[in-house]
Amino acid sequence: MTGSVMGRKGLIFWLLMAVVLFLVLFPLYWILITALKTPLENISPVPSLFPSVISFENFFNVMRSGFFKNLFNSLFVAFTSTFFSLVLAFLASYALLRYKFPFKLNVVFLIWVLVVKILPPMVLSIPLYTMFTKVGLINDLWGLILVYQVYTLPYCIWMLFGFMKSLPLEFEQAAEIDGASKLKTLTHVVVPLASSGIAATAIFSIIIAWDEFLFALLFIRSPRLQTLPLKIVSFITEYETLWGDLMAIGLLATIPVLFFSGYYYKRLTEGFSLGLK
Amino acid sequence: MKILNKRSNPAFFTLILLPALLVILFLTVYPVLNTIILSFFKNNYLSDEIKFIGLKNFMNIGSDSGFQRAFLNTLTFAAIATVAEVGLGIFLALMFFGEFRGKRPFMITVIFPMMVSTMVISAVWKVLYHYDIGLFNHILRSMNLAPVGWLIDQSQALLSIIIVDIWQWTPFAFLIIQAGLNSIPKEIFESSSIDGAGYFRNLFSITLPILSSQILLVIMLRTIDTFRIFGKVYALTQGGPGNSTETVSYFIYREGFSYFNLGRASAAALYVLIVISIIALFYIKGIMKEEN
Repeated sequence: MTGSVMGRKGLIFWLLMAVVLFLVLFPLYWILITALKTPLENISPVPSLFPSVISFENFFNVMRSGFFKNLFNSLFVAFTSTFFSLVLAFLASYALLRYKFPFKLNVVFLIWVLVVKILPPMVLSIPLYTMFTKVGLINDLWGLILVYQVYTLPYCIWMLFGFMKSLPLEFEQAAEIDGASKLKTLTHVVVPLASSGIAATAIFSIIIAWDEFLFALLFIRSPRLQTLPLKIVSFITEYETLWGDLMAIGLLATIPVLFFSGYYYKRLTEGFSLGLK
Repeated sequence: MKILNKRSNPAFFTLILLPALLVILFLTVYPVLNTIILSFFKNNYLSDEIKFIGLKNFMNIGSDSGFQRAFLNTLTFAAIATVAEVGLGIFLALMFFGEFRGKRPFMITVIFPMMVSTMVISAVWKVLYHYDIGLFNHILRSMNLAPVGWLIDQSQALLSIIIVDIWQWTPFAFLIIQAGLNSIPKEIFESSSIDGAGYFRNLFSITLPILSSQILLVIMLRTIDTFRIFGKVYALTQGGPGNSTETVSYFIYREGFSYFNLGRASAAALYVLIVISIIALFYIKGIMKEEN
């Protein structure tokens, strides 16, 4: 396993690497060239490995079909639900860390958070749908933001609790001795100390909300409120062969997330694997 | 747990815990309790009929061939996908362990599949799988082989979705197992090599046992994830052809949101809840052990 055991990297190593890269990149390459082909070339029975003419027609089509509205919906929902989750999770994690509630609430709460994290959301969907219909939050982006707390809040609590566990107590005590109020200690001492953890949590939470499909499908009715995953599915299921448009949306929805790949790798290898997914 | 000081202020801490507690109660505890109650009633959204029928929903769902099929599909999915992802993950982690030129860009590229939105992934695989004009069948035809009904053949469709899952999540297994490998001190191998142990001897008697907690973690996370798989199935096959790709989540969706049989859907959801609770027990135990 170490250099001494594995020996030098030989031909087989580099070949395997090429195969792995090919397998990983080929479907992504296919997204790219399908998006760049003309609609006619895309339905040819002989798929070409490279577009005969590079065309941006699909991208124009997509932009005309309200892509920016969907993009805005996705961004709005992902950022807003993450914002609320972060605030609530930060406060809750701090309380759970620094105060011992009666009835073993600290442990019970954290275990329930874990249970929710692994619960299939479908299990909750029927009562939630009925509830949200009653209060008129169906087909409303604010309703979606609220229901996304099912994913993002447990996730943020778990991640932030993990990060904040390692914060030293001394700074808070010093602030308290200086006469700072509890709230001021929280905003001026704890938030700055936890900022890198908060940033990491925010990024992953945004990705979760950005990717969410089930509740979006159940809760959103009108096309102008669709988030990007819904828009993509409507292309897959309704217009079977508008592949160029489909891949153009896919490409536009993917590029922002790929930028986080390096960050994701760094975090995962630093051992934050437990907080993920 | 570090407690700030003796004068700590219960009102303040209760106040800052409360918002999260309320949201969790409303959005998760209440729905779970509601599902349990609903599962004892015959309740159809359309006819507005509500009638207590005891355990009937559970017996009906338990003996429903559609649910059994969905359950079997889910288990098949979990088993094949997890074995493949963990197996490939271990293989790749061992092959790409240590330093080599271009490691960072290579690793970052390799995790692309888990970064891309599931819907985008489903879309491109649907294009590749297309029976008439998809690339895979084109390749088969050009080699004079019979085309495969990737998503339209009952005996093939589930496997096709599993392949997509393997493509998407092997990088995750790879990364976690690799992180575990990195944490093994080099000295262990060195002393073992001096003792004359060969590569495979090391692999089975040292490396894999040390990695067992990472491997177990990936197995649990992937199993948990297959029980919630919905988007991929919805986008690729909508549970078809027939019900050959219907998973439990999809079954609940169909019962609840297409047929509006809330009681039956709730009973199915409870069955899933029970299975997930069993997995959760092991998962939480493992995590708590790690925490201490």
